[in-house]
Amino acid sequence: MTYNLCTETGYISLNHVGEQLCGDRVEIVDKENESILVLADGLGSGVKANILSTLTSKIISTMLAGGMPIEECIDTIASTLPVCKVRGVAYSTFTVIRIVENRVAELIQFDNPAVIVLRGGVRYNYPVSTREVGGKQIHESRFEVMENDVLIAMSDGAPFAGVGKEFNYGWQRDNIIDFAEANYHPDNSAKYIAANIVDECNRLYEGEPGDDTTVAVVRVRARQSVNLVIGPPADPKNDIKMMNLFFAKEGEKIVCGGTTSNIASRYLGKPLIPTLDYFDPEVPPISKLQGVDLVTEGVVTISKVLKLGEDFLAGKDTSADWTSKKDGASLIAQKLFEKATDINFFVGRAINPAHQNPDLPITFGIKIQLIENLAKCLERMGKRIKVSYF
Amino acid sequence: MKITICIGSSCHLKGSRQIVEGLQALVKEHGLEDKVEMGGRFCMGDCQNGVCLTVDDQKFSLKPEDVQAFFEKEILPKV
Repeated sequence: MTYNLCTETGYISLNHVGEQLCGDRVEIVDKENESILVLADGLGSGVKANILSTLTSKIISTMLAGGMPIEECIDTIASTLPVCKVRGVAYSTFTVIRIVENRVAELIQFDNPAVIVLRGGVRYNYPVSTREVGGKQIHESRFEVMENDVLIAMSDGAPFAGVGKEFNYGWQRDNIIDFAEANYHPDNSAKYIAANIVDECNRLYEGEPGDDTTVAVVRVRARQSVNLVIGPPADPKNDIKMMNLFFAKEGEKIVCGGTTSNIASRYLGKPLIPTLDYFDPEVPPISKLQGVDLVTEGVVTISKVLKLGEDFLAGKDTSADWTSKKDGASLIAQKLFEKATDINFFVGRAINPAHQNPDLPITFGIKIQLIENLAKCLERMGKRIKVSYF
Repeated sequence: MKITICIGSSCHLKGSRQIVEGLQALVKEHGLEDKVEMGGRFCMGDCQNGVCLTVDDQKFSLKPEDVQAFFEKEILPKV
């Protein structure tokens, strides 16, 4: 099975209340055979912390990706970081998670809360060895990963959440593990897991974080393809060709658009059964078609999916309600943002004359652009995207 | 009697949801749930004149504000 595994990363930060810049920084390097994630937390908050953590994370991720040992990284950081005038030290904590060939995890941790590992949804106590490098206590670990392993790194803003408000001593590591275990679902993406924990931190801070709070998640998962077809081909002669290619693909199938679903229904020889349930007033109801995992309306639904994706990426939507909603856009978002690692878009270029009506609130000429933007958004989530036009 | 309402993109934007909900409410109000079946359908191929709907096999085009009048004229007398 290991040949089919891949590594997925995602993170979210909350800024210290009143600060424009975050003092935590996450750098991710994805290479052919390894993924490296570095989370650094600079001393203090604001600009100074931001510079310290940016330098630290960038130096470590770049040097490790170049095959340098951790000693040299620490040496470089020590001689590069500006020394804080107030405190007389140059300081940034860091956590490194490196997954080699989707098979082995290597952790290098300095002064951040210890990485939490979930295996099969429950805590996994990984081996740790400690040594001194350049006067710093470095904790190192190395273990084989399994499918659905979740590795959670965080800055100390997470366990500080709720100090003096909800809890006396903050949100302790054990509580965070309990929370992560309770909310675990094998389909949850790295980004979603991170958002979920950060959202809880924000709640404990009562919306006013007393420290920069960052959660970064690395997840080892099986590759999963999802295929989405939208719009009839410019030339109706290509209907069959498009459907042949679409249905030949491995993985889940989503059909978007009224005319497109009629074509799919004819192609499969199965009836299209629409529903009339408006779970979200903005999103048209979905339909059922045997042989297709999901059938939705086209542009209105996809516009909504794009909006959900952009908000989620920007960290504006940490609650991510779409993971449990039942309208067409949320259902597509669940498949594309959470489930898929590889997405194939089949886009028909036909123009629906009714969509050229200037009275309509959105311009339908943007269908192609909509898909291009969605593809870009998904690429930023770390998905492999392929778009074919017909 | 079967009423089918288009829920494609164009008709959605022209108000099919209001029409669906309006008709559902009227059918209920008159206690006609057993006699009138409602369903959705994707594009009926007449987008410019939406919202499209059919009552049995007869085609209509309707605006959300006309639901009440339509119900009284085309549905009530026929059930």
